[in-house]
Amino acid sequence: MNLLAPSTHLLLVILMPLVGAGIIWLVGGRGVDAVRRCAVTTAVLTLLAAGWLVLRYLGSDEAAAGQPYGMVSVPWLTGGMFDIRLSIGLDGLSLWLFGLSALLSLTAILVSWEAITERVVGFYVLLLVLETAMLGVFAARDIILFYVFFEFTLVPLFFLIGIWGHDERRRAAVTFFIYTLAGSVLAFLGLVTIVLWNASHTGSVTFDIDLLTAGLAAHPLPMDAEGGYLQWLVFAALLVGFAVKVPIVPFHTWLPLAHVEAPTGGSVDLAGVLLKIGIYGFLRFSLPMLPDATAAFAPWLFALGAIGIVYGALVALVQQDLKRLIAYSSVSHMGYIVMGLFALEPVAVEGANLQLINHGLSSAGLFALVGMLYERFHTRSISSLGGVATRAPWLTVLFILFTFSSIGLPGLNGFVGEFMILAGSFQRAWTGVASSLEQQYLLFAALGVIGVVLGAWYMLWAVERVFFGASRLPPSHQTDAHAESLDLRWHELAALAPLAVFALWIGLTPNTFLQPPAETVRRLTRPASIAFADLMQPAGHRPSDNQTLTTEHPAALQPAATLATLPPSASTTP
Amino acid sequence: MSPSQLLILVPLLPLLAALATVIAGRRLGSRAHLPAVFGIAAAAIVAVSLVITTARSSGGGENPRPVDMVTTLWEWATVADAYEPEAGSPAAVPGTAIGADAHAARPLSIAVALRLDPLTATMLAIITGVGLLVAVYSIGYMHDDPGYPRFFALVAMFVFSMSMLVAASNFLLVYVFWEAVGACSYLLIGFWFSKPEAARAAKKAFLVNRVGDFGLAIGVFLLWLTYGTLDFHDTLSPDGTILPGILGQTRLADVSGYVGGLVGTAICLLLLLAACGKSAQLPLHVWLPDAMEGPTPASALIHAATMVTAGIYLIARCAPLYMACPGALVTVSIIGTTTALVAALIGTVQNDLKRVLAYSTISQLGYMFASLGTGTLLGFTAAIFHLLTHAFFKALLFLGAGSVMHSMGGVIDMRRFGGLRKLMPITAVTFLIGSLALAGIAPFAGFFSKDEILASLHSKGWPDAHHAATGEHHALLTTPGLTGQTIHDVGYRGVSAQSDHALSSSAATGLDALNQPFVWQLLFWMALITAGLTAFYTFRAVFMTFTGPLRVPEEAGHHAHESPPVMTLPLLILAVPATLAGLVLFSTESLSHFLAATPSFTAPSVLETATPAVFHWDLAIQGTLAAALGIVLAAVGHLGRRSDGPQMERWLGPFRPFLEHRMFIDQLYVGLIVKPLEAIAFLAAMFDRAFIDGIVRGVAWLPVATGAVVRRLQSGMVQRYALAGVIGVLAIIVILAWRL
Repeated sequence: MNLLAPSTHLLLVILMPLVGAGIIWLVGGRGVDAVRRCAVTTAVLTLLAAGWLVLRYLGSDEAAAGQPYGMVSVPWLTGGMFDIRLSIGLDGLSLWLFGLSALLSLTAILVSWEAITERVVGFYVLLLVLETAMLGVFAARDIILFYVFFEFTLVPLFFLIGIWGHDERRRAAVTFFIYTLAGSVLAFLGLVTIVLWNASHTGSVTFDIDLLTAGLAAHPLPMDAEGGYLQWLVFAALLVGFAVKVPIVPFHTWLPLAHVEAPTGGSVDLAGVLLKIGIYGFLRFSLPMLPDATAAFAPWLFALGAIGIVYGALVALVQQDLKRLIAYSSVSHMGYIVMGLFALEPVAVEGANLQLINHGLSSAGLFALVGMLYERFHTRSISSLGGVATRAPWLTVLFILFTFSSIGLPGLNGFVGEFMILAGSFQRAWTGVASSLEQQYLLFAALGVIGVVLGAWYMLWAVERVFFGASRLPPSHQTDAHAESLDLRWHELAALAPLAVFALWIGLTPNTFLQPPAETVRRLTRPASIAFADLMQPAGHRPSDNQTLTTEHPAALQPAATLATLPPSASTTP
Repeated sequence: MSPSQLLILVPLLPLLAALATVIAGRRLGSRAHLPAVFGIAAAAIVAVSLVITTARSSGGGENPRPVDMVTTLWEWATVADAYEPEAGSPAAVPGTAIGADAHAARPLSIAVALRLDPLTATMLAIITGVGLLVAVYSIGYMHDDPGYPRFFALVAMFVFSMSMLVAASNFLLVYVFWEAVGACSYLLIGFWFSKPEAARAAKKAFLVNRVGDFGLAIGVFLLWLTYGTLDFHDTLSPDGTILPGILGQTRLADVSGYVGGLVGTAICLLLLLAACGKSAQLPLHVWLPDAMEGPTPASALIHAATMVTAGIYLIARCAPLYMACPGALVTVSIIGTTTALVAALIGTVQNDLKRVLAYSTISQLGYMFASLGTGTLLGFTAAIFHLLTHAFFKALLFLGAGSVMHSMGGVIDMRRFGGLRKLMPITAVTFLIGSLALAGIAPFAGFFSKDEILASLHSKGWPDAHHAATGEHHALLTTPGLTGQTIHDVGYRGVSAQSDHALSSSAATGLDALNQPFVWQLLFWMALITAGLTAFYTFRAVFMTFTGPLRVPEEAGHHAHESPPVMTLPLLILAVPATLAGLVLFSTESLSHFLAATPSFTAPSVLETATPAVFHWDLAIQGTLAAALGIVLAAVGHLGRRSDGPQMERWLGPFRPFLEHRMFIDQLYVGLIVKPLEAIAFLAAMFDRAFIDGIVRGVAWLPVATGAVVRRLQSGMVQRYALAGVIGVLAIIVILAWRL
């Protein structure tokens, strides 16, 4: 076996944290230091291996051709009609999320360095198991495997919240688990229906995502009463599962609770990576496999995204708990991504895809910093903190940096995604919807821009109260006896520095990060885009769209891979 | 080196200086100013050389060639096939040079591209020039501050951002640095962050500016959707066709290249909103007076000379867009003139020397807006002319105020000191020069630029008089077939033919209806009254601070003294252009000819409004009389006195508290916007807790209640749920498999 073959490389990256978890289990008796060092080593090695794999992907022929890279496909539960495979591979959509998972896992371990003092072995084992699950979700190319990893992200996090959380940890853990489990069971039903529908037309019960995508393009699920509105139902089932995960308002109430109660390391993984799985699911399954239902639901989800932006921002505005405030800011920011995704406009979708990474970096950074504040002052209440900047200047600098990234200040990463999402949304509202929907679309796109103002309001308010002004530190820190430096320690700096570097890098040359996934994302969105254009056709603005498109989709019928090579005009002119 | 390479150096050097200060600031200690001072000095030298280069290549003289040199550094973001122009949209009808594939999908392509043209070169020279003097001055002013390196890093960072803002050749890049200068301003206003007022003022400045940025963002989206590009300049596509930029030569040459009507007006008004935020115009002016909490040198550089002029720059840059929308133009003038008058009124009762100057800045920026809104070549160049002279004399005044504050131990309330002319003679003389320039007394700089602004307003209010005087000259400039009488309407007529492009509606024409001579006459009189008020509040401040018996507050201790040479030298240097710049630039007409070669001002619609430079004796006399009256009134009330005597109260009566509370505009915003929004936010949070979470808890309670039986197995609960879930899923699979 060639250890350096892409497929082995990918497999190794996914399994490495699991191996590390096993080693930690073994050295658990040798004390806390050994456990920590072991965990960090594992995470660093995984990150290096993952980074190297990403670089290899970028230079590979598969990337240029839009094919999955490092494919492994081993029969797993194969018998009779069933052909469930251990099938993994990277493509443009999963590339950055895969890398982000590896990066944030290291952050999560480093920020827990001094925060976790009890049951250390279990904590790091769970964090590493979680890392394997996160890496696996984004690499899975088989529906069952995807679902297994998907569920597997829940279990470690449930225990992380339930055991190492704060006062209300049990309620938070149970709410989190029930909420996401209920959602994911529904999503699984939807996925299974897709498999069976495909099987009933092709005769083989395949679970392979690419085959299913091609199969459903050839035999779309019925949208009418005759077919039992099956496509609607499946979309709705997936929607519930993924909407809880994102979360889309009004399925969001588990999120602030889980964040506030979770230990910092858990928050970092939760906000940074786990929320992205919902959007990833939409892009991987809903848009390419259920284009007609996506198109029908799109105006509603576009509106829900915009409402979520403003709603999340408004609720964040009155929070007294800094961590809760950032949790609601996550709700608001995920609203942008939902809005951009369901604008179904290339600029917006590519912006939303980039914004997944941007939000991962900035929210993980902010949650980590809130954890560090808590370690120092044992409070997260905004009103009992003040003037931290004088005591911890570098902590303040980084908090302001991630705040600027979060409120979309140009030059940092958040701006790129926000700008593209809003530009694409306006473009959709301006040129791409039926005139009856135009007003509504413009209104919601404008709401999104108002969210930019509100976002700056609550974040800067928090910065002003916590970091600026007269020193209002808790009594325990006002005496000179505690005058030792409260600034960042080395492991904290090591946790945050990479995030800051990427925030700047993406902000300065976003093309480096926009181009690799562009083709894949475009291909996955195209069927839904075309379906949406058809839906808008009767009163739409596009005289260039041909009537034949309403009866069948010449482009959508072809296997996905060949679509990428077609000239762009081919999708609209038969 | 080629001009484009030199252009890159102007922002690059301050950026490197900022990075060097960040990295080595602590180690440099009291020499932390070195990178910033030398970086900005080098940038200033390069900027001056660029002015010379640009002036040479434009040819000079009466008929300058348009000059723009564009350098593309890197592709910032690209989205392929992002936009398909509709048939007949302005994006698809860009003039003459486009190929056959005008309707093909085109990419959203944002390049980091810098441009060099006369407007950019002028702005760069102002920014780096004033920036250098302010940096030198700060060596003295900030010398004991614990944040010494941080201050210079931020100043250098600001000079970088501002240079990029005026050099950017792409609307998105303008937006990027529009916010970047806002961030620098935020960090400098909040420089002394442990002062709660400073922290609050910084937040307020950022948020009010964000409201303006809201306008800029939507404006940029609409520009993208209307013109299918965001570049200023024309770009060459790979297949050899020219993709016309919004302000590129191709579109400029096309008489019907710009959209009017509702869409055009919407774009212009949104850009105006952005300009109002950055340049502190009504109704978004509230942040600037509070921004005086920052260090005085930062106020001089950012909140007087450079950043606040970004709005003027933006509108001047977008002149052809505005020329297509007469309604938007007249709105610019109305907002500008109203702001000028309102801010001057409020300025008359301020007792904080820096706030007087802040309101004066708002007022003078209002003049520039008024001038821009006339939509004439004279108006555009006059605005930039005033921007230039104002940068010098207002920076001078601010640095003078800083010198007073430095000496008075941080006290800036004019009622607490007086008679400082003997104590600090250099500051007093240079402050007087700045005040004469601000009041518009000949031959100081402000006189000439203000005169041109009044002239541009006058020409709109009494068009016949100006036509009679300049008819001959027009005949040279306009195409045959147009009589002198209709010349002022030409720019607008080109638009009305356009409006079928763009969903013409009554809303836009409603604004257009404001474009009447009597409106302009009213604006002219308001501007003239403002001139009198300006002289009044300026000299009120001069008299209160420098005349009368010497009085020093106790905070200053016993060593109140003239500031050190490192602070007075910049004052002396700035006093020279504050005295001479107006006379020189006006008499040689070099600035107006130089600026006329800016591509934006070479659009046919702008060129048609060109008039020969004439010195308007009648306006000069009116302006000088107004200023003189203001000075006399100030002398009657304040010469030799230290505080607002009963005269002011007698004069203003019940009006005084109204002005002292800044016309209650801040309170109005708190009552109408902030509080209601906070109430809505509070309700949203209640709704979130009680309703949405309540439903969820209700639903979640069901399985918990049913699971009460197994509650004995405390940790076993979850596995049980998982097991139940899996069993359920399997059952459903089986059922589905059966049915299909």
